Amino acid sequence: MIRPMSYDWGVFVLWRWVMKDKLLTMQNECIESVTQAGSEQALEEIRLKFLGKRGELTSILKALGSLPPEERKETGMLANSIKSKITTAIEAREQTLIAEKSVIEGEFDLTVPGLIPESGSLHPITQMCYDLNDAFHSMGFEVFAEDEITSELYGFDHLNFPPAHPARESMDTYWLEGSENETGAKRLCLRPHLTGASVRYLKKHGAPARFVYPGRVYRNENTDARHERAFFQYEALIVDRNFSFASGKLLVKTILDKVFGRDVDVRMRAGFFPFVEPGFEIDMKCLVCGGKGCRVCKHVGWIEVMPGGTPHPNVLKAAGLDPLEWSGFYINVGLDRLVMMRTGVDDVRMFHSADLRFLSQFK
Amino acid sequence: MKFSYNWIREYVELPANLSMKQLSYDLTMRTVEVENTENLADALDQIVIGRIDSLESHPQADRLTVCKVDVGLPETVVIVCGGINLAVDMKVAVALPGSMVRWHGEGDPVQVKKTVLRGIESYGMICASSEIGLHDLFPGSDDREIMDLTSFESPSGTALAEVLLLDDQILEIDNKSMTNRPDLWGHYGLARELSAIYNKQLKPLPTAVVAHTPSGFPVEIDETDRCNRYIAAVYSGLKYEPSPYWLQLKLWKVGLRPINNLVDITNYVMLVTGQPTHGFDKGHVDERIVVRNARSGEKLEMLDGSKLELSEDDLVICDANKPMALAGIMGGKADSILPETSEMILELAKFDPTTTRRSAQRHGMRTEAGVRNEKGVDAERMDQAFGVADQLIRELIPGAKLTAYEDCRPIHVTYPEIKVPLSFLNVRLGRELDFNAVAATLKPLGFGVAGNSEDESVLNIRVPSWRGTGDIDLPDDILEEVARMIGYENFDFIPPQITLERAIRQRRIETERAIKEYLAFRAGFQEIFTYPWIADQYLKAAAIDPAKCLRLATPPSPETSHLRSSLVPGMLEAIARNLRYYDSMKIYELTQVYEPGISNPSEEAETLPLMRRKLAAAVVGKDPVKVFREAKGVIELMPRIVQTEALNFIQKDKPDWADQKVWLNIVSCDRVIGTIALLSAQTMHSADIRKTMAAVIELDVEELEPLPSRENKYRPLPQLPLVEQDFSILVDRNVKWREIEDLISGMVRSYAFIEEYTGKQVPNDKKSVMFRVWIGSDTKTLTAEEIDAESQRILKKIRKKLGGEIRQSNS
Repeated sequence: MIRPMSYDWGVFVLWRWVMKDKLLTMQNECIESVTQAGSEQALEEIRLKFLGKRGELTSILKALGSLPPEERKETGMLANSIKSKITTAIEAREQTLIAEKSVIEGEFDLTVPGLIPESGSLHPITQMCYDLNDAFHSMGFEVFAEDEITSELYGFDHLNFPPAHPARESMDTYWLEGSENETGAKRLCLRPHLTGASVRYLKKHGAPARFVYPGRVYRNENTDARHERAFFQYEALIVDRNFSFASGKLLVKTILDKVFGRDVDVRMRAGFFPFVEPGFEIDMKCLVCGGKGCRVCKHVGWIEVMPGGTPHPNVLKAAGLDPLEWSGFYINVGLDRLVMMRTGVDDVRMFHSADLRFLSQFK
Repeated sequence: MKFSYNWIREYVELPANLSMKQLSYDLTMRTVEVENTENLADALDQIVIGRIDSLESHPQADRLTVCKVDVGLPETVVIVCGGINLAVDMKVAVALPGSMVRWHGEGDPVQVKKTVLRGIESYGMICASSEIGLHDLFPGSDDREIMDLTSFESPSGTALAEVLLLDDQILEIDNKSMTNRPDLWGHYGLARELSAIYNKQLKPLPTAVVAHTPSGFPVEIDETDRCNRYIAAVYSGLKYEPSPYWLQLKLWKVGLRPINNLVDITNYVMLVTGQPTHGFDKGHVDERIVVRNARSGEKLEMLDGSKLELSEDDLVICDANKPMALAGIMGGKADSILPETSEMILELAKFDPTTTRRSAQRHGMRTEAGVRNEKGVDAERMDQAFGVADQLIRELIPGAKLTAYEDCRPIHVTYPEIKVPLSFLNVRLGRELDFNAVAATLKPLGFGVAGNSEDESVLNIRVPSWRGTGDIDLPDDILEEVARMIGYENFDFIPPQITLERAIRQRRIETERAIKEYLAFRAGFQEIFTYPWIADQYLKAAAIDPAKCLRLATPPSPETSHLRSSLVPGMLEAIARNLRYYDSMKIYELTQVYEPGISNPSEEAETLPLMRRKLAAAVVGKDPVKVFREAKGVIELMPRIVQTEALNFIQKDKPDWADQKVWLNIVSCDRVIGTIALLSAQTMHSADIRKTMAAVIELDVEELEPLPSRENKYRPLPQLPLVEQDFSILVDRNVKWREIEDLISGMVRSYAFIEEYTGKQVPNDKKSVMFRVWIGSDTKTLTAEEIDAESQRILKKIRKKLGGEIRQSNS
């Protein structure tokens, strides 16, 4: 500790000179080391060395009390200004170090995969179905569901299928044991298509009507990669007065634009189905070649996607509606096939496999 | 069905510049789908007719011959050939280098190249008919017999396609698109359609003159509802021989095999008019023709050699004592056209479509005749067909003579006349058409169009016979005809006008979706689909009474005849299958199940069985406590997320698939609506679910009560912090968490179960239960002493009621 030994003026002047020099040297040394401090810990050591309870500057400040008042004032001002400078320098350096540093010391492998939230998923067909429901919902369509078991009356008779239509036979339709030799309302089956639901809905709610009725249907047939006994359809019907078939494209476009996420060109051509008149096969322009013709569309430029048409007068009559007053448009699309087109699934039987290796791909 | 473009053009002159692409487009848009068009000449490119100039044995190979062949080049070419019927001056088909052939008539076409065969260079090859796809037209004994073209006069080097008149487009039409159009199953029908599309005149078919027919022939129709017209035309002076080349070629081009002149004539008539015909050897027909139902057990050997055992459902053509043909499908072997046939009864008849189809199906006989008869051919067409047949017979066999003709027609069918208001057409079409415009679209198709004498705005439309067998009988059918002839591509989209009445709210539908999305997105379950028919193994494993299941009359397989009354069997199967790849999983299915009973969704007369939507879910993993608690937690949280009335648990009805101990019924509004349980050991064993544990939920979705609107009551936040305190108490093993819960619930702000432990650190008859409570005050922050006093109060109460002792307590 430096202690002035005498009040001799010359000595005093010398001491003051030495003291000032010492303080300034300390300041430079301290700021120099602050600038070079590479970590918060090093900075803290510097702070302790100069400003700690026994720090070098602290000691000088403590010793000020023993100086003559005029000296005390002058040296004190200098020491305090240096303390302030050092403190500022340390804080500034600390800010810089915090701004530059990572919370992690050492290496961190950013390529290690993230922790995926545990999640299940909807069946890909449900996903497609809900996508379409949302699209139709936005246009004020209701969603309707008929039961899976129906009668020949609603599965065929009401839908203008001729009495001897081949689809009525057991090689096409799954009839229930005990009812297979009955007819009409007494002959029961797993529904062969969804169209019967339209008559049920119209009978109950009347017209005008706009509704969709997705669901699973059943056909008695041999299965392979393209044929299934149980598969899903999506049917939509609009019934109104003075409705032209030329308005039917609305339903088609609603579906295809939703599924493919862009405007899809559509054409309607002659097709025959018992429950519609006129009936259509509806094609979409091949998305692979843009209509030029390629392998996917068998060089036609168009791909058949769904049937549709105006409800046959006999169907409207069965639903209790006057066919001269009411008209409309049906479309019916196979959900399995749409999912296959959208995702590339190449075997329709996968959908009922309950195989999690398959299903878990559709998050 | 295949159509020859050249043949069609015999009946209608089509625009000269009409491309196949345009024709296909127009037919596809308006009438039927053209699947493919193909020029037969394309496959025979670089194949020419050649004359064998000289022959030499190959010095290195016994079976090969070295031929010098004139192929129209300045010099003959050398071709090495393995044919067994080669001769000098024989005319042969030569595949020049660059052409495509099938080696020995098999596999994909390969390109012919100059090749050295055992040291001698061969310039192409001399073909057997099967090697260039002409086997049915030039049947050889085997692939070593060379196609003999000596009878063709074309000079050497002429393209084979030109020599054989194969420059023709073949249209392939999708049969499915013609099922409702029996008129299109012959070339004349398609020609009529094209004549209408391109506004060209349709040429008439020849008509037969039967005025000088000497006599009739006895025909009896026993079943007039299955056959309403039968023409028997008897020709004598016939000669059985191959047809001339032009006739063979016509049949062959559209996929029929030429057989002999008499059979070929019958097939030709069918391919022109769509009317199937058949020829019987008159010498074999005893007395008369009888159309009757077969007798049960009657036997018939068919032309294709198959032997049928007939039933009363089959319609047969007989003579006085025996069946000779399965009506409308195929003739019998014994009595149809034979090599010695000189006198023939030509049959033209209209058979009931359903009878034909069912017989064909029953006997597995799909024939050209059957396919047409089951579409419903109009009875008027027989006259047209007879005209074509009569002309062709006279042309091919100069000595032929019609000696008898019988038209047995017990029933005359009438064809519809339809009144169509113009306004109906115009509103539905969205355009303005007048009488003339409508007539211009319909008349070329054969419709009669006349004004209505009483009302000018109504059209009287007479349907032609060939469209009147079920295809067209309503104004809407006429609408379709008009629209398609205008061309659907010419109708622009008309945006529909829609009245909005209300927003749509469908709670049942919304709840189902909410459940599915809750399970998939929040609870981590994978949705699965299974079939509604249940394998017997899993029905048994789930201990479901088969008597309470509906059954299919013709199931996919004998062991999957029962329809599901529960989703549990399907879950078992899905678990068992996936265990091969996964040792833990969470899956669910939501769909309908069925059981015997009566429901009337739409009308009294229709009685359907009971159908309900159910949810089944499974949590599969090693630890039974964990899987059960996970399953239980899913149900506990569900009402809040899905927004239904609360669910509670009791033990009331244990399903047979559930474990003896670990099961709970799910209760909603005081009704049991489902179960959560571990699978019983028995069930797992029967379902082949091994080395794992499964908690299964089954729940009746119809019984869930959706809340009318979202309910989620707000509770003000505590003003002062709550203190969290953990307890671990030692109680008897039979003490239930519910008992502890009941004691503490009134004493604390909230509480939570943490875990239960039995094991080494705990006496055998005890268990350790750990739980957490939150205590606090609305008016002040609790001091350490107050917290301690509160904890002591809780412990004292537990000790008093349950005899528990503290193991530890931490704050």
